[in-house]
Amino acid sequence: MGVAHGEVKAEAPHMGGINEAGCGRGPRIGVYVCHCGLNIAATVDVARVRDAVAGLPGVVVARDNKYTCSEVGQKTIADDIKNLNLDRVVIASCSPRLHERTFRELMARSGLNPFLLEMANIREQCSWVHGHDREAATRKAVALTRAAIARAALLEPLERNVGSVTKSAMVIGGGVAGISAALYLANMGVKTYLVEREPSIGGHMAMLDKTFPTLDCSLCILSPKMVEVRENSNIELLSYTEVRKVEGQVGSFKVELLRKPRYIDEAKCVACGLCAEKCPSKAPDEFNRGYSERKAIYIPFPQAIPASYVIDPNYCRYFTRGGKCRVCEKICERGAVDFSQREEIVTLDVGAIVIATGFEPYDASRKTQYGYGRFPNVITSLDFERIICADGPTHGKLKRPSDWEIPRRIAFIQCVGSRDEHETDGAGKYCSRVCCMITAKQAFMVKEKYPDAEVYVYHTDMRTAGKGFEEFYQRGRSEGIVFVRGKPGEIVENPEDHSLRVVAEDADSGCILDLTFDMVVLAIGLRPPGGLVELAQKLNVSRSADGFLLEGHPKLRPAETSIEGIYLAGCAQFPKDIPDSVAQAGCAAAAAAGVLASDRIEMDPLNPVVDEELCIGCRLCEKLCPYGGIKVEKTDKGFKARVIELACKGCGVCGAACSARAIKMRHYSDEQIYAQTAALLEVG
Amino acid sequence: MESETFEPKIVAFLCNWCSYAGADLAGTSRLYYPANVRAIRVMCSGRVDPAMMIRPFIDGADGVLVLGCHFGDCHYLTGNYQTDQRVRIVWEVLRQVGVDPGRLHLDWVSAAEGARFAEIVEEFCNRMRHMGPLQASLPSGPLPYDLPLALAIAAEIVEGERFRWLLGRLRELREQGSVYGERIDAARLEQLVRDVIAEEYVRAGVQVLAAREPLSVKDMASKLGLAARDVLKQVAYLKKRGVLDIYDVRQQSPRYQSTTRIGVDDLG
Ligand code: FES
Repeated sequence: MGVAHGEVKAEAPHMGGINEAGCGRGPRIGVYVCHCGLNIAATVDVARVRDAVAGLPGVVVARDNKYTCSEVGQKTIADDIKNLNLDRVVIASCSPRLHERTFRELMARSGLNPFLLEMANIREQCSWVHGHDREAATRKAVALTRAAIARAALLEPLERNVGSVTKSAMVIGGGVAGISAALYLANMGVKTYLVEREPSIGGHMAMLDKTFPTLDCSLCILSPKMVEVRENSNIELLSYTEVRKVEGQVGSFKVELLRKPRYIDEAKCVACGLCAEKCPSKAPDEFNRGYSERKAIYIPFPQAIPASYVIDPNYCRYFTRGGKCRVCEKICERGAVDFSQREEIVTLDVGAIVIATGFEPYDASRKTQYGYGRFPNVITSLDFERIICADGPTHGKLKRPSDWEIPRRIAFIQCVGSRDEHETDGAGKYCSRVCCMITAKQAFMVKEKYPDAEVYVYHTDMRTAGKGFEEFYQRGRSEGIVFVRGKPGEIVENPEDHSLRVVAEDADSGCILDLTFDMVVLAIGLRPPGGLVELAQKLNVSRSADGFLLEGHPKLRPAETSIEGIYLAGCAQFPKDIPDSVAQAGCAAAAAAGVLASDRIEMDPLNPVVDEELCIGCRLCEKLCPYGGIKVEKTDKGFKARVIELACKGCGVCGAACSARAIKMRHYSDEQIYAQTAALLEVG
Repeated sequence: MESETFEPKIVAFLCNWCSYAGADLAGTSRLYYPANVRAIRVMCSGRVDPAMMIRPFIDGADGVLVLGCHFGDCHYLTGNYQTDQRVRIVWEVLRQVGVDPGRLHLDWVSAAEGARFAEIVEEFCNRMRHMGPLQASLPSGPLPYDLPLALAIAAEIVEGERFRWLLGRLRELREQGSVYGERIDAARLEQLVRDVIAEEYVRAGVQVLAAREPLSVKDMASKLGLAARDVLKQVAYLKKRGVLDIYDVRQQSPRYQSTTRIGVDDLG
């Protein structure tokens, strides 16, 4: 199939004269209207668009291509640039957010300044949204293309700004995704700072007893990785630390961190535990989900990294009773306790950032009909992990919280806080992806421990897509786990013995099941973690409607963000299981390392230029620029604004505000924009 | 009958990072909306100059949309706060010259809000259909002039140095008060904005009229719906600055003409 589908050249007899005159010594523009297969052509009459712009002043050639981005399509343009002496190119196709880079590179390869390219978005913003009206869509495509031509005629060649690259990276979040990303980066020779806001790395994976579908002991596979983090000389671990501020851009981010005081000197502490033995104050143990207690001086869990204790000032008597107690200080032979520690600001220079901030489990108490928080024997899937874990509150015996007796009848309820229209946040409306397999695993573990236990799973559908998942689920069925398609409306507790009555309709048989259980496990969904909104704002990355972070492209840039140099790993993007999180961590690390491997970063030169004749030194621009990208300085002509090229990000707020009209924006100049507006409105 | 078939022309300024991405998402999700809206991509909504909000009307638009990131989400941190101030002040300018400010709409669309984008466009388009063509709508209020003149005056008002300076400082004034640390209360600030616009209206009106044809103070005053002494004050001032000159004297009253061509090109 020929790619250069049809063409109208200025040299064609019926319009050649007009056009050569129109071009004169002015711009020589090539226009390429893309069919994008049928993506555009099904709605927009591409040939009509081509013909409508072919005669415009400055247009030397107008063609339509099946796929402009294909090799053949690109070659057509490259050949035209050479043969017809084009100096500007207009491509009417998909969104510039998709292919602007592709075509700019083509320009550069063909010896043209890449900033002399202009794209008209006739796919995302035309054919795909006006499929109901071919005529209107075609007219709009003509208008958009004409506007692009008008703008292209006024474009000026620009040289890219060049920035340096700091050869180090920061990973935010020390769960399995962050740990993996840090290790991948470190093993590629990149100096990596791993920042974790909790006292230890490990994240939610450290709390799990086993992983599906292999039933590996979670910490047994995670803990060696955590040790590796500590041992790796390329990794600097900053635990108990939060990100305060991020400035700069790809290649040179400046990060400000806040280190919270542990009141323990990490370097001196050997985690002998003497202090905790003697500590008189108790607190609920959050690692065991509040089902046991820890001391005010504690280590989150035995395998914690850094292997250092930490003092919880909310419970420690030194803090709650005004400087008294200090038992731990006295007992510690190594003198590791240090009550004088204060919050500390740490600054880092890094070239790339990986966000691996994970998730937060859904707050099950919001589903009041299930009584979580009111009925002791209703627990969540995460509680279950702790209760069944050898290190947990019952030392690995599965017991129910009301009387710590062994439950004989256990129910699991799926989709608590997910696939739920009533949930107000986006993440509650969809499938959290891991809960079905978590339940399959937990139900199996119950059967493994107590083969005669009765286990029911109430589900919407069991979703078991993944390597070895279906087999695992079937094995559970054959062990006698009962899967019921149907969601119970509520749980009613018998206050005497705290047993739980669950009524549900089994959609497969149509029967009403009215059963009583000793314990009910709620399979809770995954939510964006607290603080993610603020972090996203500090980093300037976008979030999706569900509140998790938005990837660069849903298919092709899954580990990137909209900001160059900032990458995503794990559940920060969307609920994922462990292998998917690790895989994405590798992807993010590779992308980050790619940036760090180069010595210079090229940045779009969108900075403004100041006309000193017009500038009156009013300082409006200086006040409005959030980056210090423009400063008023004394010159021999008085006070004048000056652009600081590498600090400027090219937003244009100064140009739009200048009281004396002295600031001209490059690539988005008034004239260029006005030419566009006028052309857009010419076509009906 | 006209209003039933009327299809408004709408120009939308979209910032690259949120609203343009949101518009793209509407495309990827195949959400249909009216083809009346045609977008111009800018890096940030903060790039959209007040003059840029007025220009499309002069070029024949019936409505103008400015869409940026939600507060706190602007890729350049605070650009959209500036946009917010600007749109509000341009509404005042439009009101001053008699154009319905409802024809300029500001909204926020994130990169994830494809559906919201489609909704906003649809709604605005319906509103414009309802309002009818701008060119046919006479400026509301008691003003005796025509629409091109009204728009030319609006465009000239927002070029005023004093106007632009005040606009640039508005947010700061609102939040931090003046350099002397005194907080200016909102009502006083609104009044200040209206006063400046009213004064700039006289200046811009005189300048635009005098660029069209030589006119006496009395003629200008009646065309602008103003008192002759207010116009005279401006004329005297502009003459001192060399922007106006006496063209001739008729029946003892001088007719003035502008020395520059400000605004005249916009009249088409
Ligand atoms: S980048 Fe969207 S409003 Fe500033």
